[in-house]
Parts: sequence; structure tokens; C-alpha cells
Amino acid sequence: MQKTSFDRTVPALSRRQLLGGAAGLSAAAMFPVTAWAQGDRLNVRVYTEPDEADPLDASGFGEAMLYGCIYRNLIQYVPGDTWDHRLDLAESIEQTSDTTITFTLKPDQMWSDGYGEITAEDVAFTFERNLDPEMNSRILPDIGPLARVEVTGTHSGVFHFDEPYAPFWTIALPYLAGAIMCKKAVEEVGGRIDTNVPPVVSGPYRVREQRPGERWVLDRNPDYTGDSPAEFERCDIVYIGDEAAAEIALEAGDLDFTEVSPGSVARLQDEAPDNTDMSMHPSLFYVWVGMNLDNPKFEDIRVRQAIQNAINVNAILEAAWYDVAEPSTGIIAPGLIGHRSSSMIPPEGDTARARELLDEAGIDRLQVTLNVLNDVTFTTAAQIMQATMAEAGIDVSIEVHESGSFWTLGVEDDGERWRDLELIMNRFSMLPDPSYATAWFTTEQIGDWNWERFSNEEFDRLHTEARTETDPERRDEMYRRAQDLMEESGAYRFITHGVTPNLYYTSVVPATRPDGLPLVQYFRRA
Amino acid sequence: MLQYTFQRAALALAIVFVAISVLFGVMIALPGDPTSVLLGPRATPEIRAMFREQMGLDDPVPLQILRFWGRVLSGDLGTDFFRNRPVSEAVLGALPHTVALVFGAIFWSASLGILLGAFSADRRNSWLDRLTGVLSVAFIAAPSFVVALYSLLLFAVVLQWFPSIGAGEPGDILSRIHHLVLPSLAIGLAWVGYVARIVRASMLEAMNESFIRTARAFGLPRRRVTYNYALRVAILPAVQVLGVGIGGMLSSAVFAEIVFSRPGIGTLIYESVSSRNYPVVMGSMLVAIGFFVTCALIADLVNAALDPRHRTSR
Repeated sequence: MQKTSFDRTVPALSRRQLLGGAAGLSAAAMFPVTAWAQGDRLNVRVYTEPDEADPLDASGFGEAMLYGCIYRNLIQYVPGDTWDHRLDLAESIEQTSDTTITFTLKPDQMWSDGYGEITAEDVAFTFERNLDPEMNSRILPDIGPLARVEVTGTHSGVFHFDEPYAPFWTIALPYLAGAIMCKKAVEEVGGRIDTNVPPVVSGPYRVREQRPGERWVLDRNPDYTGDSPAEFERCDIVYIGDEAAAEIALEAGDLDFTEVSPGSVARLQDEAPDNTDMSMHPSLFYVWVGMNLDNPKFEDIRVRQAIQNAINVNAILEAAWYDVAEPSTGIIAPGLIGHRSSSMIPPEGDTARARELLDEAGIDRLQVTLNVLNDVTFTTAAQIMQATMAEAGIDVSIEVHESGSFWTLGVEDDGERWRDLELIMNRFSMLPDPSYATAWFTTEQIGDWNWERFSNEEFDRLHTEARTETDPERRDEMYRRAQDLMEESGAYRFITHGVTPNLYYTSVVPATRPDGLPLVQYFRRA
Repeated sequence: MLQYTFQRAALALAIVFVAISVLFGVMIALPGDPTSVLLGPRATPEIRAMFREQMGLDDPVPLQILRFWGRVLSGDLGTDFFRNRPVSEAVLGALPHTVALVFGAIFWSASLGILLGAFSADRRNSWLDRLTGVLSVAFIAAPSFVVALYSLLLFAVVLQWFPSIGAGEPGDILSRIHHLVLPSLAIGLAWVGYVARIVRASMLEAMNESFIRTARAFGLPRRRVTYNYALRVAILPAVQVLGVGIGGMLSSAVFAEIVFSRPGIGTLIYESVSSRNYPVVMGSMLVAIGFFVTCALIADLVNAALDPRHRTSR
């Protein structure tokens, strides 16, 4: 009995075996990881995880990056500094009247996996299934007043609209809604792709697997018939939400390309990791400080104008964006139709004028609450505002919210918080069409996304008319006027569009949209 | 022992029920309409209304909680409406990564902690003992996220021995272990100090027990008496601490999963809370709390099995 007991306590491994095993494990663990980041494998970071292989369920840029790799559109964004498009599946496509767009497909463009040629039937199916109410398409707003797609031949068709719709060229055809789907394959799986690996692709890459919360693994599509074949055997779209983690991953060699935070730009410029380069791009996002017009505190326009003047945008950009972002003049970024060359109030503001306006309104010191997201950029910006606005006699209390709480601050369906809302520092994402910016500030959007509760008949009319205006010069004028109205209301102080700094290894030649977001399908080896 | 096991299991179930029900209430009470947060500005009012109806958000909170438990009892964790997939699929996909991370952390804390504690007790009051004491306190004091960041910078960026992100290639066990080393070390290191101090104290106590004196009197080698007999008894409190410590390790796993960009229950919960994705939050929390309570229960039962005094002392 006692002997047995002794045996049980003797370790199964001898000391020598244990040491040998540990050494072996250590050696195995030290395989160089940098080998993955070179050669035939590309690792590109995405900051928002693509969730869906079916465009009907797409929610944003994560999916756009994925679809660019695995699907094809009639036209695609051109990599570079200007918002332009190039023909992809389309041999020709043109606006034939205010309400029709005619297209012809290139011949012999094939689906993968033996699904045959890409035809105009596929194009019609792709767009028209968005119109089916039972499909509950999340991207339905992008296609606007599209009525139907007429198939006029195997390779030709016509888009018919109920009314003119200029954004179709910028946010539908080359973006999520424009990713052409294979009618036969989608119908075979019940009308909607609900698996992570789509049954058929047409782009330069195909999906090997999705590892939720981590990455999409793509392989070269051997059946690709376009003019921009995959450069890499394997392409991983790596989801990393945190910018600091992404920077470390790139420095460790686990990524080839990532966006970095503005706060890291100076350090990375001074001490760039070996064999890396950086590019800077103006973002499309827009950041502003808004005032709730239904709050009695902001009833007097002089109070609102005082706040506009008291905010020193330059000081905010220096501290929160590390001086790498430019002041904005409105909600429409440079390079887009409708961009204003300057705002009415200069970026540095005017503290003396702010004080004067408060005196005229009969206010000695104004107490306001500024609501911001719990993001270091916004909390820093809020602290700068707190300091500079105090000079004009405005005492700012800062309320920081986590994202779930912040994004419903002004939403009427979520309770009564919108009533007490005062100042909000906000940031909206943007697509490369001005209508996508003005859409959230109409009277109809009050209590939804229009948290300033700004209501202006002329603005609403301009927004509606500009969407249907096909003359670019006239559109430009209308959107500029719309932003004038916003600023004149006193409810808005425009801060910046931000900046997109990208860091990448010189072993790859990245391709990005003008706002710096990657077009992975065009990445090449150096 | 059987009665004790039933008592502990019933208590564990009650803890899970209360914790999840309270969390559900807190989650619903938080500001933030899930349809706005989840669907974003592109969603039409019709889609939002459909989501509200499907998620049962307009029903009274007690009814929502009852419905949740009803589903759980029938083996259904609900549906992730945002991705239109069963919650169980998301949770079961993430769970193995977190379990591996926690057990990796336990491996580090147990192996290094027991080694240091035993070594320290064996050389009581020597300079090595004092050095081990300082190291233990240093490990306890170092927050997991700091260890995670510095280990990343040193071992992933400078030395490039280990990858900085991800969980490794599926089906490749070496790759999985390779990706697990740094994050599990970051979580486990803080527990090394606790385990070392507990093992040291227990060992010193055990060394004064009569069975140790008897073993010595029989002339058994000192090393065998120390490491085979005294250590076996001294490990028991460490098992208990690690069992309860799994809760802390799960919390640290959230940091580690974010810093190392690993999939797992931690990141799933973090992102679901931010997006007010209630079904996924509740499903993930149920599994995480269930995992924690199960580990604590197992630690209790192991202790009770190894040391009968634990059964009668409660």
C-alpha cells in the first residue's frame, strides 16, 4: 500500500525529460513570425470587422474591403488622390437620361466554380433584390429611387429611376450595393448567402474561411477573368479594433498595412520601423460640435454664436489630432462636390467677439455640458475646449459616454435624454457623395440622427433637390449653400475631417481611396 | 461527499441564475437603443421596427428575462439578430480560445508559482527566499495589461519570437501554442506571486506536521520529504485560489484578447455590450459565468476530495 502511494507521487517526467521538453517548446515557439508578412501572403488590417458575405446585410467599410476582393462591380473606385471610377465589369456605362443609366458588360467575364458567364441578368438580380421588401436590405437607401433594371441583352441593360439620382454613381455602383451577385448561385442557397464562405465569387480572391473576431482568410481566385488579378496567393483581412494594437502588430511583422492613430504620426516619422513608409490622407469623416436648439439655454442665437466663436479649432487640432489634421469648413470634405473653401467663423475663433455676444445676451458666465465619446481624441478635444472657452466666460462640464450610450443620446426612441442635451461633440462617417452628409440634418431626422434638432425649410429643399441634380456645378453650389445655412443657425461649429495616416512595409505597394481606406484588391508587391 | 457535491452544485446553479438575471436587468436599464446602435444610420424605420419586434424589446423586462431562461432551458441561447445566426454559434466559436487562454494562464501561474513557493520554503530565510519574496510581490503588483504591453514590445516587436496578434492557424497545434504563450503569460504572471506566497506558507506549515517529522525520522531523503510529501499537501490551498482566481483571469482575458487581438469570449462580450447586442451579451455571459462557477465548483470538490476537513467545515 505504502509503495503504491509513493509511486503516485513520483513525477511522470524525469528532470532531464522536463528540461528537454521545455527547450523543445521554446525552440518551437521561436520560429520567426516575420516570414508570414512577406512573399505570397498579404496581411491588411481592417478596423471594423466584416460580418457578412451577402451585401444585403452589409453595414460598412469592413464589408466593402472584403467585397472589393471577392466580388466585382460594374465600376470601381480608382486608387489615388481623386474620387473617380474605372470600368470593371462594365465595358461601357453612361447616364443616358436624367432617369436612366445604360450599361454594357465586358464579354467572357466568369463566375468561379463553373457558374458560367456574368450576365446582365445577374446585374438586374443584384439590384432588384434590394427592392424586395421581404429581403430587408440594409443597403436599400444607397440605391435611392431605383425602380428597376431592364435587361436588354445578355451583356446589356438599363437602370431606370423614378427620379434623377446622382449619388448612384458614387455610393451605389462602386460600393456595397454594386457588388454583383450570381443569380443562379444565390437562388440555389435560398436567395440570401448566410454562410461565411460564399458559394461563388468573381473577384481576384476567394474566401477560404472566416475566423470570427480575428480575420478573413482569402486565397487567390484561379477563375478570375478581370484585368487586375490577385498579386498574392493568400490575403488576410485582419480585424484589429484598437489602433495601438495594430501599430504593434505591424512593427512585429504580423501586418503589412494598417491605419495608425494621429498621435503616433510624429513618433513613427522620427523613428519609423525598418522598411516601412507612411502616407497621409484627408479623411471623409466629419467632426463638429453641435448645440441642441430645443434646449432653452440655446434659444438666443447670440449664445450659440458666442459658443461658435469661443471654440478654437486650431488649439483642438494641435492637442487632440497632434497637428496632423486640417480644420474643416463644413460637413463635406475637400475633393467632394459641395466642399466650401472656408467657414464663416475662422478656425481660431474669436474670444473677444464671443464675450461681446454673451454680454449682448445679458449673460455673465454661461454653464454648459459637453457630451463626448470615451475616446482619447474626443476627451482631449473636450478638455481643450473647456480651457479655451472659459476665457470667453463659458464654463464647460464634460460628460463622457461609452459608445452604446453615446450613440443614442439624441434619439427620441431611447428615452428623454435628448431633452437635456446641450453640446455634443460628434463624428459621423461618410461616403464619397455630399448627399450622405446632409441626409442626417434634415427636419425629418430630428430625434433620430439630427441631435441639434436643426430645422430649416431651405436646407431640406436643397438636400432633396441636390440629390436629383445631375449638373455637378449646380450640385456644388447647392451643397455649399446648405452648409452656410447650418453654420448661420449657430448650432454647428465644424472642427475637422481628421486624417488617415497609413503605415506599411515597403515590400508592398498599397492602393487606397483618396480618403486613405485600402483597396486591397489592387495591392501589389514592390 | 455525495451530499456535499449536490449542495455545492445547487449553490452554483443558484449563483448562475441570480447573476445572469441581475445582469439582464442592468443591461436593459442601460441607455442605448440596440436598434439604433446595431443597425446604424443606414437602416430604414421598417427594419428597425422589425428588429425591435424580433428582439422583444418592447416587452416588460421580467417577461424578457423569463423568455431568456425559457430558451436556455430548452438549449437555445437565442439569435444574434445583427448577424442572423444562433448565439450559441458565436459563443461556442469564441469559447475554446478563452478556455485555452485561461488554462494557459493557470499553467504559467501553477508551474512557476509552485516552483518558486516550494523553492522559497525549502530555503527559508536565505537571500534566495527573500529574492523570491520580492519577485512574488512584483508579479502581484504588475497589472496584466502592463505585462501584456511590455511582453508584446519585447518578445513580439524587438525579438520577434512570438506573434503579436491572432490565435494561430486552425488545426496546427504548434501555431496555436505559439500564439498562446504571450497572452497567457500576461494573465498568469500576476497569479504566480499569489501562488508562490501561498505555497510557501503552506509548505512551512506542512514541514512542521507530524507526518513530515516521521518521514524524516525514517531517514527519507530531505528532498523527497520536501517535494513529494510536504508539497503535495501545500498545493491544496493553491488549487482553491486558482479555482476562484479563474474569475479574475477571465476578466484579464478581456484585456489580453484586445491587446493581442485574439478572438474569445472577452472580446465578444466587450463588443456586444458596446453595440447593445443583448442576445450575444447574455449568451456569452451565461457561458462565462457558467465556466467560472464550474471551475470554482471543481476546485471545491477537488479540495474536499483531497482533504475531508473541507467537507465538514462548511
